[in-house]
Amino acid sequence: MADLLSTGVSGLLASQVGLATVGHNISNVNTAGYTRQTTTFDARTPQFNGGYYIGQGADAVSVQRAYSQFLTQSVWSANSGQSRALQYAGLTAAANNAVSGSANLQSALDGFFGAVSDVANAPVDTASRQALIGKANSLVSTFRSLSSQFQNIDQQTNQQISSAVDSINSLAKSIADLNAQIQRASVGGASPNDLLDARDQAISQLSQIVGVNVSQGADNTVTISVGNGQPLVNGTDATQLSTATNQYDSSRLEIVGPTGSVISNQFGSGSLGASLDFRTNVLDPARNQLGRAAIAMTDAFNKQHAQGIDLNGDQGGKFFDIADPAVLNSTANKGNAQVTATITDVGKLGSSDYIMRYNGTGWTVTTTAGVTVPSTGTGAAGDPILVDGMAITVPSGTPQAGDSFQIQPTRNAASTMSVAISDTNKIAISGPLAATKSSSNTGKGALGDLTVTDVNDPAFKTPVDIVFTSPSTYTINGGPPQNYTDGDTITGNGWTLKLTGTPAANDTFSVKPAGSASGDNGNGLALADVANKGVLDNGVTTVGKSYSQLIAQVGTAGAQANTALDAQQSILDQAMSSQQSLSGVNMDEEASNLLRFQQAYAASAQVINAANTIFDSLMSAVRG
Amino acid sequence: MRISTSWGQQQAVNSMLDRQYDLSQTQLALGNGKAIQTPSDNPSAAARAVDTNSASAQNDQYTRNIQSATTRLSVEETALSSAGDILDRIRSLTLEGTNGTQTDESRQSIATELRQTLKQLVALGNTKDGQGEYIFAGSRTTTQPFTIDGLSVSYGGDQSQRMVAAAAGLQVATGDSGSDVFMSIRGGNGTFITSAGATNTGTAVVGSTSVTDASAWDGGSYTINFTSPTRYEVHDATDPTGPALSTGTYSGDSGTINFKGAQLNITGTPATGDTFAVGPSSSQDVFSTVAGIINAFEMPGGGPAMNNQINAQLQNLDQAATSFLDTRTKIGARMNTLDQQTDIGADVKLQYADTLSNLQDLDYASAISKFSQQQSALDAAQQAYVKMQNLSLFNYLK
Repeated sequence: MADLLSTGVSGLLASQVGLATVGHNISNVNTAGYTRQTTTFDARTPQFNGGYYIGQGADAVSVQRAYSQFLTQSVWSANSGQSRALQYAGLTAAANNAVSGSANLQSALDGFFGAVSDVANAPVDTASRQALIGKANSLVSTFRSLSSQFQNIDQQTNQQISSAVDSINSLAKSIADLNAQIQRASVGGASPNDLLDARDQAISQLSQIVGVNVSQGADNTVTISVGNGQPLVNGTDATQLSTATNQYDSSRLEIVGPTGSVISNQFGSGSLGASLDFRTNVLDPARNQLGRAAIAMTDAFNKQHAQGIDLNGDQGGKFFDIADPAVLNSTANKGNAQVTATITDVGKLGSSDYIMRYNGTGWTVTTTAGVTVPSTGTGAAGDPILVDGMAITVPSGTPQAGDSFQIQPTRNAASTMSVAISDTNKIAISGPLAATKSSSNTGKGALGDLTVTDVNDPAFKTPVDIVFTSPSTYTINGGPPQNYTDGDTITGNGWTLKLTGTPAANDTFSVKPAGSASGDNGNGLALADVANKGVLDNGVTTVGKSYSQLIAQVGTAGAQANTALDAQQSILDQAMSSQQSLSGVNMDEEASNLLRFQQAYAASAQVINAANTIFDSLMSAVRG
Repeated sequence: MRISTSWGQQQAVNSMLDRQYDLSQTQLALGNGKAIQTPSDNPSAAARAVDTNSASAQNDQYTRNIQSATTRLSVEETALSSAGDILDRIRSLTLEGTNGTQTDESRQSIATELRQTLKQLVALGNTKDGQGEYIFAGSRTTTQPFTIDGLSVSYGGDQSQRMVAAAAGLQVATGDSGSDVFMSIRGGNGTFITSAGATNTGTAVVGSTSVTDASAWDGGSYTINFTSPTRYEVHDATDPTGPALSTGTYSGDSGTINFKGAQLNITGTPATGDTFAVGPSSSQDVFSTVAGIINAFEMPGGGPAMNNQINAQLQNLDQAATSFLDTRTKIGARMNTLDQQTDIGADVKLQYADTLSNLQDLDYASAISKFSQQQSALDAAQQAYVKMQNLSLFNYLK
C-alpha cells in the first residue's frame, strides 16, 4: 500500500506545478510579450503486478508556452507595417501643420500683389511704396518661415534616424545576449519559456523600428536580418549599424552598414523606413516645390521690374534676391574641380536634385533617383552644361574620374530669398517708353497700346519716329515705306505700338524713352499682373498655383498616410487578436485552472490521508 | 475563441481612445467652424480653397483699384465740368464784346475779365487729385503741367494716360492727358480753318464754315482772292500766281463761297484784293484761343479784322467745348464700365465666398448630429467597459 502514498504525493507535486504555472500566468497577465504557459501531465509508468499493471500516479512533464511561430511572425510583420504608418502619419501631420499654420504663403502673395496694385494706382505716393516694401518683406519672411519649418522637420527625421539606429544596435545586442542565455538554458531539451518571451519581445520592439526577417538557428537561437538581407543578429553575434553624414549634404544622416557602405535605401518598413521614405518622397519634394516657387517669384518679378523706370529715372534693378543653386561636393572627390550652377530658364526648372559625375572624359548628369538627364555642353565657361533650365560650369580646378557633385537647384532657395530694395524711389513702376502724337498732326490717327516685348533689344532706347507718307503708308525713322491699315500693330525695337484711326500724310508718332515720368504706371500694372503669369512648367503654372500644388502634394501625402495608418492598425489588431487569442492569459480560464489544481491538490491530499488511514487500520489490527 | 484578458482590456481602452479622438476632432471643428483642419483632411479641397482665396483676394484688389480709379475720374469730371462753365462764360463775354455798341474801353474791360478767366482755366488744368498728383499732366504727375506767361500757356506734361486694372485683362484709363483735353484741339470747324488776310481793307467777315462734301475736301491750303467786291478766285496757296482753281461771284454784302466741298458764309463787303486763307485744321490749344480773343479785343478800333479773328476763335472755342464734352463722355463711359465691374466684382465675391464656404466651412447640422452620435458611441464604450470589468470568475471565488 506504500504505492498509494507515493501516488498521492505524485498528484500533490503535479498539482503544485500546475498551481505554480497558473500563478505565474496570473502574475504576468499584464506583462508585455508574455506567453501563457500550460503544464503537461503524464501518467507514470505503471507497475507490473503479475497479470496487470497498477498505476503509479502522475508527473508534470513540461511547462510549455501556448505559442505559434506563425502567429508571432505575423505580429512582427504587422508591427513593422503599423509603426511605419504611424511614423509616416506623424511626420506628414507635421508637414501639414507647417502649411496650414500661420505662415500662409497664398495670403502673403495676395497681400504683396495687392500692394503692387496700390502703388500702380498711386505711383508717386510714398506711403504706398513703403507699404509695398513692407509686404515684400512679409512675403519673403513667409517663404523663409515655411522653409525653416521644413528644415526643422528634416532635422527631426535626422534625430529619428539616429535614435532608431541606436535602438536597433541595442536591441540587436540584447537579442544576441538572449540567444546566448537561451542556448545555455536549452540544454537537455527544456524550454526556457520566459527567456524566449523576452527575446520575442525584443524582436517585436525591433520590428517596430525596422522590418525583420527571423529564422530559427541551432539550439533555439534565432538569426535576424533587416533591409535587403543585411545580417543583424547571427546566433550570439550582433552586428552594429551606424550613421554618417551624406557624402554631399552634411545636414543629412545616412545609415551605414558594418562594411562602411550606405544602406539607407534598403529600409522600407518600420519607423526607420517611414522616416527615410518621408524624407525622400514627401519632405524633399515639398521643400523643392517651395524653393521653386520662391525662384519663380524672384525671377518673374525681377524680370518685369527690370523693364520699368524708377523714381530716379533709372532702369529698375533687382527687387528680390535669391541664391544660385547649391552645388555640394562629394567628400570622396579626388580632384579639385569647383562647379557652379545658375538658373537660366525658370520655365524648365523641375523639382529634382541632380548628381553630376565625371567619367574621366566628360560629365554625365542624373537625377538623385538615378535617371539620366539629357544635357548639352562641356561645362567650359563658354559652353555650360545645360540641363533642365540650369547652366552648369566648371570654372576652376581639374576633376578626376569618379568625382561627383550634387546640385540642389531649389531645396534651400526659399530660405535664401530676400528683398533687394529698401529705397522706395527704386521701385520701378513707370513704363520705359512713351508714345507721343505730334501736335501738328492733321489726320485722325490715335495712339493705342504701347507694349514692351524685349527690354534687352540693343536699340530699345533709340527714339523712333513713325512718319506717315500717306494715309496708308508709313516709314520708321526714314526706312522703307510700310503699309498701314486702321488698327495695325507696329513693331519696333523690343516694343509694339497699336495705332488706330486714319492719319494724314506727314503725321508723326514717336516712341522714345519716357525719362522720369513718375506718374506713369505702365510697369506697375505689368508687375501686378505677374501674379497671373504662368512662369513655371514652361509658362503654365503661376507662383500662387505652385503653392496650391504644394498644399495638394503635402495634403495628399497626409491623407494617404492616415488611410494607411487605419489599414495597418487594423491589420495589427487582427494579428494581435489571433496571437493573443492563443498566447494571451485569460483570467477566467486561470481562475478555473486554479480551482482545478486546488481541487486536484486537495484530492491528492485526501489520497495521502486515505493511505495513512489504511496504514493506521493495519497497525491497530497488528497491535490489537 | 479565447480572449486574452489584458488584450481585451487594451482593445476596450483603444476603442474608448478612438471614440474620444473622433469626438475631440468634431469638437475642434465645431469650435472653429472649419471642415478642413489641415490639408490632409481633404487635399483637393484644401488646394482649391487656396486658389479660391487667392482669386477672391485678387477680386477684392480689383474693387479697390476701381475705387481709386473712380475717385480720380470724379475729380477729372468735376474739373472738366467747371472748365465747360468757364468756356460758356468766355463765349458770352466774347459775344458781348463783338456787339457793335462796344467801345475800345469797354472791350478792354471785357479783355481784362477774359484774362482772369484764362487764369482760372489754367488753374483747372493744374487740378490735383487726392494724392496730390496733377491729373492733366499725363504721366508727369508731380510737375505742374500748365504754366502761364502773359497770355501764353505752355504744357509740360506728356501724352500718357494712366490705366487701372479693373478686372483680369481689363484696363481702364483713369485720366486724360492735358495734351488731349486742352492742347490738341482741332481748330476751325474741325476740318479746315479760315483766316482773313492781314492787309484786308473791306468789311467782309467769315462767319460759320462747314464741309458740304467730305469726299471732295482734300485737306489742301487755298487762298480766296477777291478780284472785285463781287468776284473771287480760288488759288492753291502753294501756287498763288497760278491759274485759278475756281471762280465765283459774291453778292457784295452776304453770301456763301463753295469750293472743293468747303463752304464759307461771308458777310460784309470785301475790297478788291482782299484775301481769305483756307487750310486744313491743325490743333490749337484752348488757351491760345482765349488769348486770341483777348488780343482781338485789345486791338484798338474793332471792326472787320477783329470780327474775323473773333469769329475764327469762336469756332475754336466751340471745338474746345466739344473736346471737353467728348472727354466727359469718355469719363462717363469709363465710370459706367467701372460701375459694371464693381457689380460683377460683388457678384463674383459672393460666388467665391459661396465656393469657399462649400469647400472649407463646417456643415453644423451634420457636425452636431455626428457629435452626438460620437458621444453616444463613447458613452456605450465606457459603459460596456465597466460592465465587462465586473465579469470575472474571481468575483465568485470567496
